[in-house]
Amino acid sequence: MEEILNIFGLETSLFLFQVINFLIVAFILKKFLYNPLMKKLDERKNKIEKGLKDAEDAGIALENAAQERQKILAGAKADADAFAVSAKAALDETKEKFTADAKNRSQQIIEEAKQKASAEFENMNKQIGAMSVEIAGKVISKTLEGLFTEDEKQKVTARALEKIKKGDYEKSAN
Amino acid sequence: MQISPGVLFTIAGFPVTNTVLVTLIVDIIIVLMVFSVYKAMSLRPGRLQNAVESVMGYFYSATKDIAGDRVSFIYPWVLSFFIFIIFNNLIEFIPGFESIRFFSQHAAEGHEHGVPLFRAATSDLNLTLALAVISVIMSHFYSIKYTGIKSYIGRFFSLKMFGLFLLVGMIELISEFVKFISFSFRLFGNIFAGDIALGVTQYFFVMFAFEMFVGVIQAFVFAMLTMAFMTVLTEKSH
Repeated sequence: MEEILNIFGLETSLFLFQVINFLIVAFILKKFLYNPLMKKLDERKNKIEKGLKDAEDAGIALENAAQERQKILAGAKADADAFAVSAKAALDETKEKFTADAKNRSQQIIEEAKQKASAEFENMNKQIGAMSVEIAGKVISKTLEGLFTEDEKQKVTARALEKIKKGDYEKSAN
Repeated sequence: MQISPGVLFTIAGFPVTNTVLVTLIVDIIIVLMVFSVYKAMSLRPGRLQNAVESVMGYFYSATKDIAGDRVSFIYPWVLSFFIFIIFNNLIEFIPGFESIRFFSQHAAEGHEHGVPLFRAATSDLNLTLALAVISVIMSHFYSIKYTGIKSYIGRFFSLKMFGLFLLVGMIELISEFVKFISFSFRLFGNIFAGDIALGVTQYFFVMFAFEMFVGVIQAFVFAMLTMAFMTVLTEKSH
């Protein structure tokens, strides 16, 4: 047995040296390589997971914002439509009111003009009548000159004028 | 090439062999790597951190797939075995690694050409046995810790099924001792045989590539077997 051990060079001191040596190396590897590296890997994993979660949250927030925007736009459109309808109604109402007012006012103006024209016409008729009587008086007086005495002439003229004033002038005015 | 490692010198009776020297060099390389990753560790990994994270991530998920929630205590051992063994296996592929000879009082005895100054530490049975012992003992330690002493003993000594389980338990107990041999000699044999094969073929490039492949595979096999044994032993026995 001892011969076999000698052939392979087995020695207790060398064996123990290798045991202790490996345990020290294993300790150093565990303490300064595996543990810190695992910590870093976990940290990286958490960071990646957090990043993914944040991205997912941001996506959801973006989607919500888009929905909210769509909702606000739809609300605004509905408000605008309602406002346009009410504005159109108000405009129509105002337009109708203004049209009716204008119509009334024009009717009134026409009535007033008619009345004024009628009054003017009457006045003119009166003036023309008066002028006609005066002209007629002068024509009669001129025509009767030399045919009658002054006194007769005056009487005939007055009677003719009186007749004109009473009958013919009014008939012709209508 | 002798099976036992070459003694370079002794310190207070402790024989400093070429494999011990290489083990210390590998330790320094691993520690430098660990601290350069530790110092530059950030959420945006650099090249080295990225490489370490990839290896770590692979072993972590592989262990989690098999061991479930016991991954937290199993995977550090699995990964430590892998890193330590792969560095020790691949260091011998540095050109001229075993060409440098060392002449000393100890080396001169029976070696007129001296002994190699460097030799892959995994071609020394002391290291492979040490790793096997740690792997098996830690598996049993976690078995007691996580399944309880009663379940642990019940795994090997049970009178269920008219004593048939006792027979199975005995076989399992023997297999636990066999693990020391299988673990240590598998790794030792592969790397030592590779050393000899490389020497014989004068570092023929096909053999060189094959031995590099063997070095990676053996580190992986050791780590995966440790994971499997730890997982099986930390399961509650029925």
